[in-house]
Amino acid sequence: MAEEWRLLDTDLGDAFYNMALDEAIAIARSKNLVPNTLRFFRWEPSAVSIGYFQSMEEEVDIKACNKLGIDYVRRRTGGGAVYHDRDGELTYSLIINEDHPLISRDFQKTYENLCSGIIRGLRILGVPAEFKPINDIIVGGKKISGNAQTRSMNVVHQHGTILRDVNPTLMFTVLKVPSEKIRDKMIKSVKERVTSIKSYLKKEVSFEELKDALIKGFEEAFNIRLIPGEVTNFEEQTAIKLKMEKYSTREWNFKR
Amino acid sequence: MLKAEHKVKGGKLIKVHLRKKDSKIDFIKITGDFFMHPEEFIEDLEKILIGCPLNEAEITKTIEAFIKKHEISLLGVTPKDFAKCIIKAGGVDG
Repeated sequence: MAEEWRLLDTDLGDAFYNMALDEAIAIARSKNLVPNTLRFFRWEPSAVSIGYFQSMEEEVDIKACNKLGIDYVRRRTGGGAVYHDRDGELTYSLIINEDHPLISRDFQKTYENLCSGIIRGLRILGVPAEFKPINDIIVGGKKISGNAQTRSMNVVHQHGTILRDVNPTLMFTVLKVPSEKIRDKMIKSVKERVTSIKSYLKKEVSFEELKDALIKGFEEAFNIRLIPGEVTNFEEQTAIKLKMEKYSTREWNFKR
Repeated sequence: MLKAEHKVKGGKLIKVHLRKKDSKIDFIKITGDFFMHPEEFIEDLEKILIGCPLNEAEITKTIEAFIKKHEISLLGVTPKDFAKCIIKAGGVDG
């Protein structure tokens, strides 16, 4: 009998709620209130997230974001700055008890284990994805998914992006570049290093098709069954509190 | 404020902001796209580096001891990479 995990699809949410709900689920999991969980979500408005150790001022063009109505938030995970496009990107989170066989003491190994679900899902769509250490998934040598992980309270939390479509020009309007002179060069270099399902397959894959493939990919790779579920009342209340007291505050977002 | 960046080959990017006094670290902020678990220890790491002489070997040793003591995992960077970036920012001769 395959293990049963919960599947959450919270679809569109703002950056602060999205990050707060991830942490809320991890807290609920640590208290054994919910099973291991796969969550899908998107960002509305589009947003930039930065890694735990990054500086908001250094990484993000705040003025450009404010002008374009793009939110910015610090993640609880390390890694780099990411532009999350409302219509281009699907984000997932995995919240798993640390004693699960998929979880190794070795972070690198755990990335590889958990990314195997995404890779399998992308292959179902005809995208021959591969894992690239440290925390990327690539296709034809170009990045299609970035992932970041943290652990606390005996729970592993990994979240990451899957690009349906990519817009490097907008990406570098909201992310800081060392100088204006090299902005074009950086946009060009991103075009050479980053791809999307649409660019690779030369056709549009809808969010629904992508999610269906990923569900299947995770079920096969992890030998689990994903049962559609709901955010619990505890998780929702905790998320609202974390959004208000942490993720939407200047104190958190500009702390480094 | 002194600044430096260090890109680890096949790894992550470290950025250091530094102020020095008598060839020792007086203020330091370490940022970048690396992974360190548990994350909260970054501030304590910065704290214990204050007063540390700007010497690559010594800084490496200090960070290694801190990592070991608190059972911290680093991914994409090593204590030596942090030390290299700090020296790059602070200079060797003070």
